[in-house]
Amino acid sequence: MQIKPFRLTLLALSLLIPAALCAVILFLLIFSAQAIGFNGFGFVTRIIWDLGDLYGDPVTVRGVLVPAGANYGILVFIVGTLLSSAIAILIAVPLSVGAAIFLSEAVPSKIRPVLSMLVELVAVVPSVVFGLWGIAVLVPFIGTMLGPVMSKYLGFIPFFAGGDSGGGYGLLAASVVLALMITPIIATTLLDALLQVPKENRESAFALGATHFEVVSKAMMPMVRTTLIGGIVLALGRALGETMAVLMVSGGGLNILPHSIFSPISTIASFIVSPLDSAEGDPTNMAVRSLAEIALVLFIITLLTNAAAKLLTSGGLHVGKRK
Amino acid sequence: MHLNNKLRRSTLLRAGVAALALSGLTSFAAPAKAQTIVSLVESGSSLLYPLFNIWVEDFATNNPGIQITTTSTGSGAGIAQAIKGLVQIGASDAYVSDAMTKMHPTILSIPLAISAQSINYNLPGVTGLKLSGPILAGIYSGTITHWNDPQIAAANPGVALPANAIVPVHRLDGSGDTFIFSQFLSASTPSWKSSTGFGTTLSWPPITGEIGAKGNAGMLAAAKANPYSVAYIGVSYASKVKAAGLGTAALQNAAGAYVLPTPDTIGAAADSVSATTPPDERVSMIFTSGPTAYPIVNYEYAVVDSNQPASAYADAIRTFLTWAINEGNSPTYLNQVNFLPLPPAVKALSAAQIAKIQ
Repeated sequence: MQIKPFRLTLLALSLLIPAALCAVILFLLIFSAQAIGFNGFGFVTRIIWDLGDLYGDPVTVRGVLVPAGANYGILVFIVGTLLSSAIAILIAVPLSVGAAIFLSEAVPSKIRPVLSMLVELVAVVPSVVFGLWGIAVLVPFIGTMLGPVMSKYLGFIPFFAGGDSGGGYGLLAASVVLALMITPIIATTLLDALLQVPKENRESAFALGATHFEVVSKAMMPMVRTTLIGGIVLALGRALGETMAVLMVSGGGLNILPHSIFSPISTIASFIVSPLDSAEGDPTNMAVRSLAEIALVLFIITLLTNAAAKLLTSGGLHVGKRK
Repeated sequence: MHLNNKLRRSTLLRAGVAALALSGLTSFAAPAKAQTIVSLVESGSSLLYPLFNIWVEDFATNNPGIQITTTSTGSGAGIAQAIKGLVQIGASDAYVSDAMTKMHPTILSIPLAISAQSINYNLPGVTGLKLSGPILAGIYSGTITHWNDPQIAAANPGVALPANAIVPVHRLDGSGDTFIFSQFLSASTPSWKSSTGFGTTLSWPPITGEIGAKGNAGMLAAAKANPYSVAYIGVSYASKVKAAGLGTAALQNAAGAYVLPTPDTIGAAADSVSATTPPDERVSMIFTSGPTAYPIVNYEYAVVDSNQPASAYADAIRTFLTWAINEGNSPTYLNQVNFLPLPPAVKALSAAQIAKIQ
């Protein structure tokens, strides 16, 4: 009898999280319903974003009141989001795999906690700090050194031909900042898994005459592959949703698709922030509703990546349990 | 472990009781000291925010009964929150639009001070650049792409212009600076008005190499980091612009003269419209006709609902705004942010609007 209130409390608390999730989805759906109707499917295929004339009289288009000339399309932001996250993953995966293997194999176990804590510390640096570093260090570096060198020697590859590199703000800067932010996520997940690989597996591989490289690449990495994929997807989730750091270094591309790795871009998350203040000046409120619809699209994209992760790993995230 | 938990709980409990007692004390003490403390919230323009901060500090010492919290959220948010009644004073670089005024007729736009905007350039080896609205419109719409373009050369006889590509920098976030800049382009260049128009964010024409930056600080950083760039920055950043080594362009005004943003030329713009400012003071000071007027000048507005829910709020808002357009307009405050005081005729109109707040 005494246990009942305890159980009830737990039940209520545990229901709170799914309830909050449902509330968010419901809110987005209801709030953006009018925008979804107005924008139609073209919302995700158009490359124009125009709030229209917020200062003149609104007009009725397709049965709803909107500012004259309003036209909302987010293909540029979808492409920017996917490209910057993909490049960030491409940079981060080798870095973090290397870091994790180094920490688990090459570092004496006494120093390991210190070093791995340092890696974890990078994960808790607030994103605005990364953004500031990006503006102060990374962007000038790309603009004046890396960019010109890359376009000179790699310019024959279509996507690397930046001409003059566009000042450093853009896709590459955003991707590098994102890569730095997600590297510790992948590295720490992978490190935990590598340390869980049974001693017997390592030692028997050594006993068979395998070199250290072969032990890592043939005996250990296959065992942690699902964890690696899980870590990557976790990192991807962070990269897709990152707002402030990207906003500060992305160059804010608008109405134009990126044509090189140096092109200015906007991501979905950062674009929800940047025009919000102006959108609030829309007397018909359609601009804010369309921003809510963007949020819905971002939500769907992250949901899809997470579903993909579940499919790929099918429970493989819990490597720690099989000992 | 169990003991430890118990201990922790008891300390927590004690801390909680102490906190409760403290809060009780303060809430009892407050009404005893001054019976009517009115709390006002100011929210909006990041350009006005520094001025509000230095204002409120001095105002509070003289008016202990009125407490003002200042926040920097952006002009659009300031207007929206003032309309919703979430804040008592919305701060905005732009007046409330006709469409908004029609929907919310009790919302007032009250000028508090005058600000301006400089066009800055990062051109190694070039100083004293002259630009005009049509040239800037050409740069920002992608028809003028290089510094040695014939149109720029024609405005700058004798200046050795480099053949480099122009890097236009614009604001990424919603901004009163974008509003007045695009108003200037719209007023001076008909093709800009019909194609892009004006607003706090724009659907910028796509240009290879252009940069979007966040906030005035971001504009400054981007212009500094990119040789051959051009940017528009609020004059309150003038000292930082100078320190960054950026040039300030002289702009062609409606009378055809090239003028730099100085107190004299900004004041001339304000004087040229002060006689024709309508009673609701929603007027543009962009590209006015004065012979020495600087073309990008604007009022900084307080956006207030004239219909306040309680007279205590209305009294406090009137007291503060009256103080702001009188004592608050003294150079001790305005010079710190490079703003200019309201001309007497406009000050009278603002006072008349403030009196409407009930």
